[in-house]
Amino acid sequence: MPISRRALAAAVTALVLPLSACGSGGGGGGSTDASGKVEGDITFQTWNLRANFKDYFDGLIGDFEKKYPGTHVKWVDQPAEGYADKISADAAGGTLPDVVNVSPDLVAPLAKAGLAMDLDKAAGKYKGEYLAGAWASHQVPGMSGTYAFPWYLNTGPMFYNKALFKKAGLDPEQPPKTYDQLFTDAVRMARMSGGKVATLANIPTIEDFGRYGASLMNKDGTGFTFNDAKGVELLTKYKELYDAKGLDAQALNATPESAGKEFLTQAVAMNPGSALDLDNFKKQAPSLYKNIGITDQITNTGHVNMYVMGVMVNSRTKHTPAAVAFAHYVTDAEHQMSFAKKVAIFPSTAGSLDDPYFTKEDGTDETRVRIAAAKSLKNAVNYTPVLFSDQMKTALRNEVGKALQGKQSPKAALDNAVTACDRLLKQQG
Amino acid sequence: MNVAEKAPETGTRPARARAPRFTDEHGRRVRGWELVLRYVLLIAVLALTVGPFVWQLSTSFKGPTEDIFSSPPKFLPSHPTLHNYERVSETIPVWDYALNSLKVAAANVVTNCVGSALAGYALARLRYRGRRVAALVFVLAMLVPAEGIIIAQFTTMRELGLNNTLIGVVLPGSIGAMNVLLMRNAFLNLPYEIEEAAYVDGANVWQRFLRIALPSVKGTLAVVAIFAFMGAWDDFLWPLIVLSDPSRFTLTIGLNYLHGTFANDERLVAAGTIIAVAPLIALFACLQRYFFRGVGEGAVKG
Amino acid sequence: MATSTVSRTRPSRPARRPERRPAIRIRRQLTTSPWLFAAPGLLITGVFILYPFVSTVFNAFTDRRTLIPGQFVGLANFRELLHDDMFWIGLRNSALYVVGVVPALVLLPLLLALLVQKNIPGITFFRSAFYTPVVASIVVVGLIWVWLLDERGLVNSLLETIGVGKVGFLSDQWLLLLSAMAVTVWKGLGYYMIIYLAALANVPRELHEAAAVDGAGPVRRFFTVTVPAIRSTMVLVAALSSVSAFKVFSEVYLLASPSGGPAGEDTTLVMLVQRTGTGLTGRVGYASAISLVVFAVTVVLMLLVLRADRREDA
Repeated sequence: MPISRRALAAAVTALVLPLSACGSGGGGGGSTDASGKVEGDITFQTWNLRANFKDYFDGLIGDFEKKYPGTHVKWVDQPAEGYADKISADAAGGTLPDVVNVSPDLVAPLAKAGLAMDLDKAAGKYKGEYLAGAWASHQVPGMSGTYAFPWYLNTGPMFYNKALFKKAGLDPEQPPKTYDQLFTDAVRMARMSGGKVATLANIPTIEDFGRYGASLMNKDGTGFTFNDAKGVELLTKYKELYDAKGLDAQALNATPESAGKEFLTQAVAMNPGSALDLDNFKKQAPSLYKNIGITDQITNTGHVNMYVMGVMVNSRTKHTPAAVAFAHYVTDAEHQMSFAKKVAIFPSTAGSLDDPYFTKEDGTDETRVRIAAAKSLKNAVNYTPVLFSDQMKTALRNEVGKALQGKQSPKAALDNAVTACDRLLKQQG
Repeated sequence: MNVAEKAPETGTRPARARAPRFTDEHGRRVRGWELVLRYVLLIAVLALTVGPFVWQLSTSFKGPTEDIFSSPPKFLPSHPTLHNYERVSETIPVWDYALNSLKVAAANVVTNCVGSALAGYALARLRYRGRRVAALVFVLAMLVPAEGIIIAQFTTMRELGLNNTLIGVVLPGSIGAMNVLLMRNAFLNLPYEIEEAAYVDGANVWQRFLRIALPSVKGTLAVVAIFAFMGAWDDFLWPLIVLSDPSRFTLTIGLNYLHGTFANDERLVAAGTIIAVAPLIALFACLQRYFFRGVGEGAVKG
Repeated sequence: MATSTVSRTRPSRPARRPERRPAIRIRRQLTTSPWLFAAPGLLITGVFILYPFVSTVFNAFTDRRTLIPGQFVGLANFRELLHDDMFWIGLRNSALYVVGVVPALVLLPLLLALLVQKNIPGITFFRSAFYTPVVASIVVVGLIWVWLLDERGLVNSLLETIGVGKVGFLSDQWLLLLSAMAVTVWKGLGYYMIIYLAALANVPRELHEAAAVDGAGPVRRFFTVTVPAIRSTMVLVAALSSVSAFKVFSEVYLLASPSGGPAGEDTTLVMLVQRTGTGLTGRVGYASAISLVVFAVTVVLMLLVLRADRREDA
C-alpha cells in the first residue's frame, strides 16, 4: 500500500514542519518607537551576576521602578555554563526576555534573525553617552544598525610569577613586553627548569592573532584573513615554543579555568587575568601572591584586547519604551560607575574612565591594576570578530592544535581554519 | 530462564537467608583464607569506588590557608572547617534550590512508578493487537540520542505553555522508557497461576493489577523509584533550558553558579559536589534493602 | 537475602510453565483497558521523545539553523558528512569506546558480583558502597575525576611519590580517551554488578554441586557452570553497555574539554552533535543528520548483539 503510506508521510510532514519552522524569521512584536510612555512589565536577564551582585541589582531595579511608576522589572539571572544554549532555546521558542545581557558574538545571530532591536533607530539619541568604540562593538558586519547598549568593559594585565622568573635567571623586574621577548624568555624558562615550568598555559586564540598584528577578517565581513603572513608567523613561534616545552602540556585542551589553575599552582609562569584574580591569588595561593608580578598585555599593535558586555532589547518586546528605557538605565554613566565600584570592571560610558577612581593611585596593587587597565582601555580593541561563532572557535582551536603537534604546517593549519570558518560563516547564515 | 521452573527448588528452602552467617549462598562453610582474601579484595574495590568521594569530602573540609595541591597528598584536612559550606550557602540559596530539586525528584518518582507500572503491566500481561508495537515504541525511545532532540523538546514544551514551570522539568522524563521495560520484566517473571486464580474468582484487570501483581513487584518499584530520583536530581541541561526564573532553579543549576563564579577554588567546588551527592547517598542507604530485593526479583534481568 | 524474597512471592507447590490458555481467556475480557494502562507511558514517550525525534529526522534533510528556518536540501548533509574529517574522528572514537568499554563492563561487574554474592558479615555495606558511583551525577563524577587526574591531582602525586613520575592523563590524546573509558567503567561497575547479582541468584545450586563432585575447581566451575547459566544476562549487559558506550558524551566532554581534547582528536559523535547543533549559530540540520547516524548505529549494534545471542542458542 504505497499510496497510503505516502499520504501518511505527507500528513506527518504537515504536522511536523510547522513546528520545526516556528520561532524563526522576522515578523510580529514590538516597534522600534521608544517614545511612548514608559510602563508595563518587563523581564531583564543577566549572565551569572546574581551570586555576587544580588543587592546591587535589587537596588537598581527598585530605583528604576520608583522613577517610572507603572513599570515592573523582573530580574532573572542565568549561570555561566550553557548561557548560549539557554538563549538559543528561548530565541527559537519565542520566549526571549525583553532586556538581555549579551556579548557581541551572541548579538550577531540574534540581530540577523531580527530578534535584537536596532538601537540606532530606537535609542540613537543616547549614542553620545558612550565611548565610540564601545558603541560600535555591537554592530554586525553586513548589517546596518547597532544592536545592544554597551555595558561593562573588561581587560586585564598579564600576571607573572617573579619567583619562577628569578629561578630561570630572568630579571623579575623586566617582564617581556613584546611577543619576541616573550618567546625568548619562555624558551629560556623551559630550558632552565628542565621542561618543568612552562610560561604560557593557553594556545593562541583569535584575539592573540589580533594582538600579534594579523588581520582577522575582511572589511565587509564576508571572509576571514588570519592566515596572513603575521598569523603564520605567530603560529610558527608557538610551535617552536611548544616543542621547547615553553607551552604547558595540558594547553592543547585547556580552558580558561584550567589555565588559571596551572598558574595558581605555579606550574606556569605567566597568565592573562583581571583585577578580579588578585583577590583570588591572595586567598588561595598566598605563596604565589607574595611573588606576583603585574605587567601589560603583550601586543604588537599597541592596542590591548578588551571584552565588551552589552544589553540588548528584544525586538518583539511588548513594552518598547520601558525596555529601551531600562536597558539605557542599566548602562548609563551613573549606574555603570556604581557597578564598577563593586567589582573590577570598567564603564563604557564616555568620560567615566577619567573619574579619580580610575586615575588616582592609593598604593594598593588592586588600584595599580585598575588604573593601568583603565588607561589601556582608552584605545583598546575588541579583537574577536562579532561573527566569530563558537563553532569557528573550535575549528581554529583544533587546527592550531594539529599544527602544534606537528601534524601539519602552521600555514596549512591556518589555511584550513580559514576555509572551515568561511564555510561556517556561509552555512550559519 | 524462566523463574517458575525453579520454583520448587527454592520454595523448599525458605529459610536460607537466616542460615548461619559464615556460609556461602549454597550453605557451605567459607574457609578462613578465602574469607581473608575476599575481605582484602572487597576493601581494595571499596577504595576504588568510594575513595574519590572521600578525597572530595576531605578537600571540602580544607581551610583557605591549607595547600590542596601538595605532593605527597594530605588525605586529612589539618584544620577541618565548614567554612566552604558556609560560603556555598551564602553564594546561592542552597535550601530553596534543594527544595525545588526535591519537588521535581519526588514528582518524578511518583509519575515513573505509577506510569511505568501501568505500562509495564500492559506490556507483560495483557494481550491485545499492537502490543508489540507498543513495546517497540519504548525500545526505540531508549535509543534516541537525547542531545539531539533537546531544542525540539523545548519547542513542544513552550507550545504547551509549560516552559519555566517545574511541571515542564518533570514531564519529558516522567515515564522513562527504561523504567517501563524494567516493570515489564518484573511482571513477566511473576507466575501466571496467581492471577489466573484471581481471574477465576471474578477479579477484573484493575483488581488483579492492584491487589496481586503490584504488591509482588515492590522491589522493582524501589529500583524504578531510585532511578527516577537519581535522574531528576542529577539532570542539568534540561532544567536549565526549561526554567528561566531563578526562584525555580534546581540544585544542579544552582551549583553551576559555583563552578562559574569560583572555578579556581577546588574547595568550594568540592563542597558543592558533596552537597549534590550527599542526599542521593543518604536516600540510597535508606532504600538499599528494597533496592536489592528488587534486584532479586530479576527486575533488571533480561 | 535476595533469593528469599523471590521464594516468598512464589507458590510452594510445583509450578508449571505458564501456559497460553489463561492468557487467551483473559484477552477475551479485555478490549480497551490495555490501552488505558499503556496510555500515559505511550503519550509521554510519544510527545516528548518520539515526536521531537521525528522532527529531528525531518531536520536532517534540511539546512535548518537555530534561528533560521530550513530549506529541504535532500541528502546534502549526509554527503557533507562523508567529507567531514571531524565526523570520521567522532565515529572512530565512539567505535573505540565500544571496543574498550564493553568487554570491561561485561566481565568486571560479573567478577564483582561473584565477590559480593556470598553472605559474609558486612556484605550489605560493601554492595551499597560499590553502588555509590552510579548514584552520583555524571557532572559531579566528571569534576571529581578531573581533579584526581590533573597534573597535580591525587593520582599523579601518588605516582610521583612511588617514583613513577607524572603521567599526562589529561593532555595526551589516547590517554584522555582511556581515562574517559576508565571513568565510564568506574561509574558503570555497580550498575551492572546488580544486574549480575540478580542473574547469579537464579543459577541452580545443583549444577555447582554436581560440577564440584566431578572435581571441578572454582575457576572451571565459573566457565562451565556460571557463564553458561547467565549467558543471556551477559548478552543483555553487552547490549546495554554498547549502546550507551556508542552514545558517550559527558565523560569525554568533561575530561577532554568541550573542544574534544588536543586538536579535537577525542571528539565523539554525540559531542559533535552537541557542538555543531547547539548555540545561537547551531546547524540544526547537519547535527540532526549526525544524530540519525548515531541512532542507526545503535540500532544495528543492538541487533548484532541480540543476533549473536540467538546464534549461540541454536
